[in-house]
Amino acid sequence: MNQFIKHLSVRIISFLFFACCLLLASCTRQKEQKLPVFGEKEITGSDTLYHTIGNFKLVDQDSALVTQETLRGKIYVADFFFTSCRTICPIMKTQMLRVYESVQNDPEVLLVSHTIDPEYDTVALLHDYAERLGVKSDKWHFLTGAKDSIYYLAQTSYFATAMEDETDPDGFIHSGAFLLIDKKGRIRGKYDGTKETDVNQLLKDIEILKKEG
Amino acid sequence: MIRVISFCFKLSPFRFLFFASCFLLSSCGKNSSPKFNQYYVQGESLYLRHCSNCHQKDGSGLRRVYPPLNTSDYMQQNFEAVICLIRYGKNGGLMINGQQFNQPMKGIASLSDLEIAEITTYIYNTWTHEKGLVEVKDVSVILNNCQPVR
Repeated sequence: MNQFIKHLSVRIISFLFFACCLLLASCTRQKEQKLPVFGEKEITGSDTLYHTIGNFKLVDQDSALVTQETLRGKIYVADFFFTSCRTICPIMKTQMLRVYESVQNDPEVLLVSHTIDPEYDTVALLHDYAERLGVKSDKWHFLTGAKDSIYYLAQTSYFATAMEDETDPDGFIHSGAFLLIDKKGRIRGKYDGTKETDVNQLLKDIEILKKEG
Repeated sequence: MIRVISFCFKLSPFRFLFFASCFLLSSCGKNSSPKFNQYYVQGESLYLRHCSNCHQKDGSGLRRVYPPLNTSDYMQQNFEAVICLIRYGKNGGLMINGQQFNQPMKGIASLSDLEIAEITTYIYNTWTHEKGLVEVKDVSVILNNCQPVR
C-alpha cells in the first residue's frame, strides 16, 4: 500500500512537472509571436504613431505605376540593388528567390526590389531581368524611377544605405538588408539578405506577421 | 621492394585487391601533381572571391541571369574565350546549353596571368569537367591573343 502511494505521488509530481513545462513553453511562444516595430514612435494622448514608409511614385518592370497605395494592405519584403552589381546583389537575389518561392502562392505577401542605378536599370532591362529570374511581376516588383527619390526613400523610409560612390569598383554602395513591412507600412524586421540563416528567420517572421491579420 | 611485394601476398585476396586498386587509381589520376593541387586550391579560393557570387559555389549559376559553369557546352567548346573573358569581360549574348544569356560580365583586370590559370584549373576540373592542369605559360599566350570585347 505504502509503495502504491509512493508510486502514485511520483506520477503526480512528474505530471505536474510536464504540465508546468508545457505552460512555460506556451507562454514564451506567445511572447515571441509579436514582432517589434522599427523607428521612432510618437505618443499623442492614447495613440501611438509609428514610423511608416513615406509616399513614393516609381514604375515597375511592366511600366506600371507603383505607389505606397499599391502596397497598402500587403505584407512585403523590400531591398535595394542594381543589376550590374557583382558583389552582394547576386547573393541577395539568390536569397530573395528563396523568399519568392515560399510566398509565390500567398496573396498577402509581395516582394519589392528597388534599383539604385536607375540610369542603367531601365524598365526594359528590369523586365528582361525579372523574366530571366522566372518571376511574376504582380508578385515581385522591380522598381525604377528618379535616382534622387529612390535614394531619399531608401534613407528616410527604409533606413537603408544607398548612394553613389566613385571609390567602389561597381560605383555604388548600399546595404544588403531585406526589410519586412507590415500591412500598415511599418518596418517590422531587418535581415541580412546575404545570409541564409537571416533569411530563414525572415520566412518565419512573415508567418508571425500574417497572424496579426 | 621485395618486402613490399611479399607483404602484399601475405594479405588476404580481398585486401590485396583493395590496395592494388587504390594504387592504380592514384597513379592514373593525372591531376594529383603538387603543382596541380596548388593551382586547384588557389583557384578555388579565387573562384570563391571573384566568381561564386554570381555563378554560385556549386557552379549552377542563377536561372537565366548568370550562366552555369558546372555543366556548360560553351566552356567545353570555347576554352580560350573563357580565359579571355575572365580578364576582359563579355557583353552578354551567349548561348549556353541551348539557352540564351544576356547579362554583361565585367572583366576582372586585377587578376594576374597566374591567377587566371589557377581559376581556370579550378573551374575546368570541378563539377563535370576534367581538363587537368592549365599551365600559366599557355594562359599567357592565350591572353596575348584575346579579341577585343564586342
